[in-house]
Amino acid sequence: MANKSVWSDNRFWARSAAWISGFASVLLIWLTFDTSVQISMGTDSDLKNGVTKRVPAPTVINYKITYEMSAKRGHEVPIIGGNDGKGMSLFQEKEKFFGKDDWSEKEAAEMLHLGKLASQTKNCMNCHTLLGNGAYYAPDLTKAWLDPAWSSTGALQPMTGKTTKEEAMAEFLQHPSKYPTHARMMPNLGITEKEARGLVAFLKHMSSIDTNGFPRNFGKMQGAVNGK
Amino acid sequence: MIEPLTDVVPSFFAILNQGPLTLTIFLHTIIVLPMIWVYKQEKARLDSEA
Amino acid sequence: MASKLLDNPFTGVGSESRQLATWYFTFAAILFGAQLLFGLVIAIQYVSPGFLFEIIDFSVARMLHINALVVWMVFAMFGSVYWLLPDETGIETVGIKIGKLLYWVFVVAIVIVVLVYLFIQVGPADEMSIWFIHEGREYIEAPRWADLGIVVVALGFVANLFMTGIKGKQTGIITVLMANMIAFAGLYLAGMFFTDNISVDQYWWWWVIHLWVEATWEVFVGALAAYGLIQMIGASRKVVEMWLWIEVAMLFGSGILGLGHHYFWIGTPEYWWEIGALFSALEPLPLVAMFIHVMYDWGKQQGKKSLDGTGESVVNNQPAFLWFWMNAFGNFLGAGVWGFFHTLPQVNLYTHGTQFTSAHGHLSFFGAYATILIGMMYLAIQGKNKIKVMKNTKSSLWALGLTVGGVVGMTIALTISGYVQVLVSRAQMGATWSGYFDGQASVWFAQGMDWRLIMGVVTFAGFIFLIKDFLTTGQNPVHQK
Repeated sequence: MANKSVWSDNRFWARSAAWISGFASVLLIWLTFDTSVQISMGTDSDLKNGVTKRVPAPTVINYKITYEMSAKRGHEVPIIGGNDGKGMSLFQEKEKFFGKDDWSEKEAAEMLHLGKLASQTKNCMNCHTLLGNGAYYAPDLTKAWLDPAWSSTGALQPMTGKTTKEEAMAEFLQHPSKYPTHARMMPNLGITEKEARGLVAFLKHMSSIDTNGFPRNFGKMQGAVNGK
Repeated sequence: MIEPLTDVVPSFFAILNQGPLTLTIFLHTIIVLPMIWVYKQEKARLDSEA
Repeated sequence: MASKLLDNPFTGVGSESRQLATWYFTFAAILFGAQLLFGLVIAIQYVSPGFLFEIIDFSVARMLHINALVVWMVFAMFGSVYWLLPDETGIETVGIKIGKLLYWVFVVAIVIVVLVYLFIQVGPADEMSIWFIHEGREYIEAPRWADLGIVVVALGFVANLFMTGIKGKQTGIITVLMANMIAFAGLYLAGMFFTDNISVDQYWWWWVIHLWVEATWEVFVGALAAYGLIQMIGASRKVVEMWLWIEVAMLFGSGILGLGHHYFWIGTPEYWWEIGALFSALEPLPLVAMFIHVMYDWGKQQGKKSLDGTGESVVNNQPAFLWFWMNAFGNFLGAGVWGFFHTLPQVNLYTHGTQFTSAHGHLSFFGAYATILIGMMYLAIQGKNKIKVMKNTKSSLWALGLTVGGVVGMTIALTISGYVQVLVSRAQMGATWSGYFDGQASVWFAQGMDWRLIMGVVTFAGFIFLIKDFLTTGQNPVHQK
C-alpha cells in the first residue's frame, strides 16, 4: 500500500505510547522529589526560628493552633502560636498539652510515633477520614483538634467530665461507648491511656498540617438548621 | 506580569504556576509535542518502504 | 505428576496454564461473594448502627469489604493472564509448576489474613500489630508478612509472564501486558513502609492505589478488551492492537500525572491543584475511546458478516461479550463521568471525603473491572466446556440485569446521599463533628442509605444467579458444541 497514513500505523502509536508513558513517569518522579522536600517534617528549631513548614515538628503540640483565613493564599491555613495579622504564624503563643508546654523534641516525637501507630493499628481510617481519605461512617479527623465540640463550651468536653480538650479526647478514646451521642457509636478498641495520649498528639499535629484550605470554613458555622 | 507566589515554598513548579492552568498546559505540551518527531520519523520510514 | 491426577479437562498446548487460570477464577468468585456479604453488613450498619456492634464493627467489615474487592480482582487478573498466555504466545506458560505452587501460597495467605481480620480485629499500637494483624491503611491493610508474601507471588507471576512472552510469540498485547504488569507489581512496594508523617504516608499510599486503579489496571483492561475482541468477534489483530497502543498512550498520559488529584489536600504543595485538575480531567477520554472501539469493531465485523446474507451473529460467546460491552460502558460512566464529577479542586474541596467518592468507587470498580473480569470467566467456561458458540441463559441474563441494576442503583443512592453531605455537612456547616452528624441526620441522606441497602441486596441476588450460571451453564444444551 502506497501512501499509508502514519495515523493508522501501529509502530507510530507504540512509540508514542512508550514516549508519553516514560516521560510522564519521569515528570512524576521529579515532582515527587520536589514535593518530598516540601512535606518532610519540620524540626523544633524551625518552630523556634519562625520557619513555616507544611508539616511542622512534633513539638507543635506545645503551641496554640488555630485555622484562619490567609488573604494572600485565599483560603484558611493553620496558624501556630498566634497570627501576625497577615495570615502568617508567629510561633509564640504556647498552650499546655497534658499539663505542660515544654515537651522535648524526643518526648513529642515519641508521642506522635505512638499515636500514628495507634491510628493504623486501631483502624481509624476504616470509619473516619484522615486528611479526607478513609471511610465515611464517622467524622473527618483532619482538624478534629480544632473542633468546637471539644472546646469547654462544646457538646463533647463537658460530657467526659474533664476540664481540658486533650484530657477529654483521651478519655473518650479509651471509653467511647460510655459516651454515646448518636445511635451510631464508636466501638471500644482497647485503647490504653498512653495510646490515647499519643492519638491526641497525632490529632493535634495533624491539625497543624497545611492542607491548602481543606476543609473549608471549618468550625466557623454553628447552629445552622438541618437541610430538610 | 509575573504573579507573586502563593505557595509556601518557591520551587520550579510553583514558579511555572502563574495563573489559570499555566503549569499544567506547559506539562501537557512538553509531553505531547515530541510526538511530532516520532511522526516525522515514522512518516519517513513508511515513505521509504512504499 | 499431580496435574494428571486431577483429570485435566484440557488437552494440548497451554492446558496447564488454562487449568491454573480456572483455579484463579474460582477463588476470585468466592472472594467476590465475600466482598458482597461484608458490603451488606456495612450497608445494614448505616441504616441500623446497632447491627453487630462490637462483634463485627463497621471498620472490620469495611476492611474485609474493600480488601476482598482488591484481592478478588487481582486473582481474576492473574487468572486472565494465565488464560490468554497460550493463545497469544502459542506455547505453554514457562514455569507453570511454580505458578501453581504460588497460587496455593497466595490462597493460604489470604485465608489466614481474613481469619485474623475477623477474629483478632485490632491489636495494641506497636510494630507487632503492623506485622501480624493489619496495617490500617485503606485498601492495602494486609499485614507486613502478607505484603512480603504478595511481593513474592507477584514476582513469580511476572516472571512466568516474562519468560513466556520472551520464549513465545510476542504480540502487541503481550508486550503491553509485560510492561504493565511489572509496573503493577513494582508499585506495591511504595505502600509497604511505616512513617510518622501522615502526609508522606498518604503521598506514597496514593502511588499504589491511584497508579493501580487509574493507570496500570486500566491498561490491563485495555489489553483484555483487545484479546476479547479478537477471540469473541474475530476482530483484526492489527486494528485492535493499534487501538490498544492509542489507549496506552492516553491512559498513561492522563493517568500518571492525574495522580495529582489526590494531592490537593494532604499537605502537598498548591501546584498539584493544576496538575491534578487537567490531567485527571482528561482521564475519561481514553475510556470514551475504548467504548467507541468496542462498538466500532463489533459493527464492522457484523457488517462484514451481514454481506454474506446469513444474518448470523459474529459473537461466539454472548454472555462474555455482554459483560465486555458493559465494561466499555461502565468504565466510561463509572470511572469517567463519576470521576470527573469531583476531580476539579474547586469541586473536590467540598466533595472530598464524602459519599460522592463512595458512589464513584462503586460504579467504577464494578464498571471498569468487575464486568470485564466476569467476561473473562465466561471465556474460560466456554473453553473449559469446548463450546463453539456460547449463548445467554436465563441465569446469565438475570445475573447481568440484577448486578448491573443493583450497582447502578447503589451509585445513584450514594450520589444523592453524598450531595446532601456536601451541602449540609460541608458547605453549610463547615465539616465539623456536629456538621457531620447534621448531614447524616438529614432525611434525604437516610433515604439514600436505605436505597443503597436495597440495591445492595439486588446486587447480591444477581451474584447468586451468576454463580448458578457459572456452575451449570457448561452443560446447558442451548450452546453449540
